[in-house]
Amino acid sequence: MQSNKLSRFIVYAVLIYFAVYYLLPLYVMLTTSVKTMDEIRGGNLLSFPMHITFAAWSKAWGSACTGVECTGLAPFFWNSVRMVIPAVAISTTLGAINGYILSKWKFPGSELVFALLMYGLYIPFQVLLLPMATTEGWLGIASSTTGLVFVHVVCGIASTTLFFRNFYVGIPDELINAARLDGAGFWRIFWRIVLPMSIPILMVTLIWQFTQIWNDFLFGLVFSAGGSQPITVGLNNLANTSTTVKEYNVDMAAAIIAALPTIFVYVAAGKYFVRGLAAGAVKG
Amino acid sequence: MGALAIKNVTKSFGDTHILKGIDIEIDDGQFLILVGPSGCGKSTLMNIIAGLESPTSGEVHIGDRIVNDVAPKDRDIAMVFQSYALYPTMNVRQNIAFGLETRGVPKKEQEEVINRVAKMLQMDHLLDRKPGQLSGGQRQRVAMGRALARDPILFLFDEPLSNLDAKLRVEMRTEIKQLHHRLKTTIVYVTHDQIEAMTLGDRIAVMKDGVIQQFGSPQDIYERPSNMFVASFIGSPSMNFIECHLAEQNGQIGVSLTSESDARFVPLKDGAKFAKRVGQEVVMGVRPEQLDVAHGDEMALGCKVMLTEPTGPDTMIFTRINGKDVTARVHPRDAKGPGEVMRLALDMGKVVFFDPKTQLRID
Repeated sequence: MQSNKLSRFIVYAVLIYFAVYYLLPLYVMLTTSVKTMDEIRGGNLLSFPMHITFAAWSKAWGSACTGVECTGLAPFFWNSVRMVIPAVAISTTLGAINGYILSKWKFPGSELVFALLMYGLYIPFQVLLLPMATTEGWLGIASSTTGLVFVHVVCGIASTTLFFRNFYVGIPDELINAARLDGAGFWRIFWRIVLPMSIPILMVTLIWQFTQIWNDFLFGLVFSAGGSQPITVGLNNLANTSTTVKEYNVDMAAAIIAALPTIFVYVAAGKYFVRGLAAGAVKG
Repeated sequence: MGALAIKNVTKSFGDTHILKGIDIEIDDGQFLILVGPSGCGKSTLMNIIAGLESPTSGEVHIGDRIVNDVAPKDRDIAMVFQSYALYPTMNVRQNIAFGLETRGVPKKEQEEVINRVAKMLQMDHLLDRKPGQLSGGQRQRVAMGRALARDPILFLFDEPLSNLDAKLRVEMRTEIKQLHHRLKTTIVYVTHDQIEAMTLGDRIAVMKDGVIQQFGSPQDIYERPSNMFVASFIGSPSMNFIECHLAEQNGQIGVSLTSESDARFVPLKDGAKFAKRVGQEVVMGVRPEQLDVAHGDEMALGCKVMLTEPTGPDTMIFTRINGKDVTARVHPRDAKGPGEVMRLALDMGKVVFFDPKTQLRID
């Protein structure tokens, strides 16, 4: 009994330690973002703010300088939104269709196609930069939001296909056969039978792709120009633009603004995320 | 032309031959059973009939047309799957309606069909539930309802009862048989359960290793199995195989039987048929019920009981004849305990003989 309590205590102590360890940076970011520069200079990093002010937030959003221009993160934020919605939608749709074909409508060589697609998971994206830039040049979509969407779709297909394919392998073939006997074809089976069963994996893929694309810095930096730069690039520029003093409160607020959408998506769809991963694990 | 004809159908994957020349023909309204151990090719044959797989060679006729190149949906068939294959995101009503909908049946007519089927299978109260909210038996019922809604010329049942518990299985078996009596639609039914095969079928095709071992009526297959595999596969407890030596004594052809406490020469019923084989080894196939307690002074063998297994209506007696374990099915009142000797008589008019080498029945 005594040793049981002790081991409980140790388990909790370790868990709490790590929780604090991971939450501390967030705490520092949040508190710093609502402090004034005077307080930051004079006080302790961990101390609670004496006067809460959102001035840093509004500056980060609307008027902080990101290089020569001082428009805050807002235009970058909307660039990211314009990029992430089509990129997530298209890559997820293609992944679902790929997965459906590679699991339920196998053709000679489909296993090879799947194996080759999976190479996409192991290719470091840095090696793609030059060929991709050339390709985008040919296509005439370089340095545009369309170009960024294209890159993210191409690079996302491997993982979205893997997610859907592994999920669909768990759907019994008899179900597809039953629908075929019922007179349904390729698309009708997909829309009416398979897709309604895909909610968990759809959520997993949406969260995954949203997080990947929203947080991407490399492609955003390389494949976009002034008018189409995403928020990660904006944040980088904002933090690197030095005026007379380094405004930590503005930097922190900007970082949180950049992270908010992914946090929101995770909170909104997170329960499906865990459920979907578990379902995939058991069935796949 | 019958309702279904399968002509010299083969199926191979490279060097693996799943089906090796299947020929089956049944009449309109018959109940065909495909039975055999797992891996015998029965499900593949079913899928070929359904059009879900295509044969390597041979022809499949449904009604009066060759359907080799006809898509599954155009074959006018309906199938009940082993896992039921109900669409999990649709309720029962939508499940039944789906096939009608894809075929462009008007909404009003769909409603009528759904109501007819629901009434026939007594599942009106389940129509608005999702498959996940149904018990195994109810799902089975819905799967049948979905097939019935289509009113096809051929029903295919792929091991439909194998996921149910024993009691429900017997109930549903009876229900399927009643349904067949009422609808008189041709049914092809795959099972590995020989009791289902015997109870349901008009015609049984016993399969093994991609070959039909025997095709005939249940009674025919039970009484006159064409080889030792069929003999042992159909019937429970299994047929006893007693190795013996054909001999002639006093002008009669018969076999010598030896138990642990007795030995006797038993003449065959139509010994003349076996005249050519005198002096050879044969395997005598005896159903447990063909080895019964001798009540009169007929030819009987004293056998020492090793073990008894009461089943209620009958008691199984385990003993040894010619060095082989043998089961006899006797009335419980006649059964004796282990260690005692019982006088058992063979029903020589019904026993069958097999060639030990070819395993085929000797006529």
